[in-house]
Amino acid sequence: MGKIFDWIDSRFGVKQPHKKFLERPVPEGVNYAFCLGGASFVFFLMLVCSGLMLSIYYVPSEQEAFMSIVRLNNDVTLGAFIRSFHKWSANLLIITIILHTIRVFIYKAYRPPRELNWIAGSLTLIIALGSGFTGYLLPWDQKAYWATEVGTSMASTVPFIGKYILYLIRGGEDVTGATLIRFYSMHILYFPTIMFLLLWAHFHMIKKQGVKGGL
Amino acid sequence: MVRRDFLKSTVKIFFLLISIISVSVFSIFTYPWKFKRKELTFFHATDEEALPIKGVRQVFIKHIRGNTQINSKAFIVNSGSELFALSPVCTHLGCLVNWYRPKNRFLCPCHGGQYDMNGKVVKGPPPADLNRMPIKIEDGKVYIGLRV
Repeated sequence: MGKIFDWIDSRFGVKQPHKKFLERPVPEGVNYAFCLGGASFVFFLMLVCSGLMLSIYYVPSEQEAFMSIVRLNNDVTLGAFIRSFHKWSANLLIITIILHTIRVFIYKAYRPPRELNWIAGSLTLIIALGSGFTGYLLPWDQKAYWATEVGTSMASTVPFIGKYILYLIRGGEDVTGATLIRFYSMHILYFPTIMFLLLWAHFHMIKKQGVKGGL
Repeated sequence: MVRRDFLKSTVKIFFLLISIISVSVFSIFTYPWKFKRKELTFFHATDEEALPIKGVRQVFIKHIRGNTQINSKAFIVNSGSELFALSPVCTHLGCLVNWYRPKNRFLCPCHGGQYDMNGKVVKGPPPADLNRMPIKIEDGKVYIGLRV
């Protein structure tokens, strides 16, 4: 590779231990459906990048959230583009994760020794859905408010502890500014951190166990 | 080796304690620090002449929360024998119902809950009837009580 990379790598040493992994043969019977996991990861990276950009203009407050979105859409150069980019990447991420799950299921790649990787993948899907749900409230418009009102009400139907789960999610009895800040924090800090850890585990296991070939 | 076993179990107990403390601190920390004390307050909704003779009328109660004005929806129902106010909040998951005159029912747009004129569940997932709101008439003006 390039001179700068070689200078860094002769000190950092990331190439040598990965040599075997990077030069491994691809198993027989793979096809383009095996790219769905990689596609999901690309959408995740796109979400991280566009999300970092959105966070520069977004104001997570009851009074200003909606107006900051309006400003982002109308005044900021490329604002509407970055917002749509984030929205569509999110939609496509969910779609590609589900297709990837179906592919893994059909090819029986969840079988031993890959059970734990299936579990890590399932948790990734749950975190992705959670990110979608929390991100939906952030524009703080009517659609967002009612979607959250209904979605969080479902948590209160859990027997015995439903009320406390509701308090934990909403930060009070009703959907208010406290809910908005909680969702914002979950959306930009908790879920992405958990997601990075899960994906690291996911890729680590692929590296160790290899790709399960065709049927 | 006895000392090593003792130290091992001490470390285990230490980490168990730290986990329990962390989880409790997180739960206590995230528990809502303030519940707004909600008091029943009566707001002017409409005038007595505007009340339905028999049927349902949708009213909006204007009030201020923080520094935003809120229009809370409510229904005033005259069933012929009784006059009462119904809350529009669906008892299923909290959407606002609408009065649909052709069927004489309250319809919830979210999951298809249906209530009759008296707020009784007719169809769909709602577990309970629509809540009634306190109503009073003074000097030809109709007041509806809200918890704010």
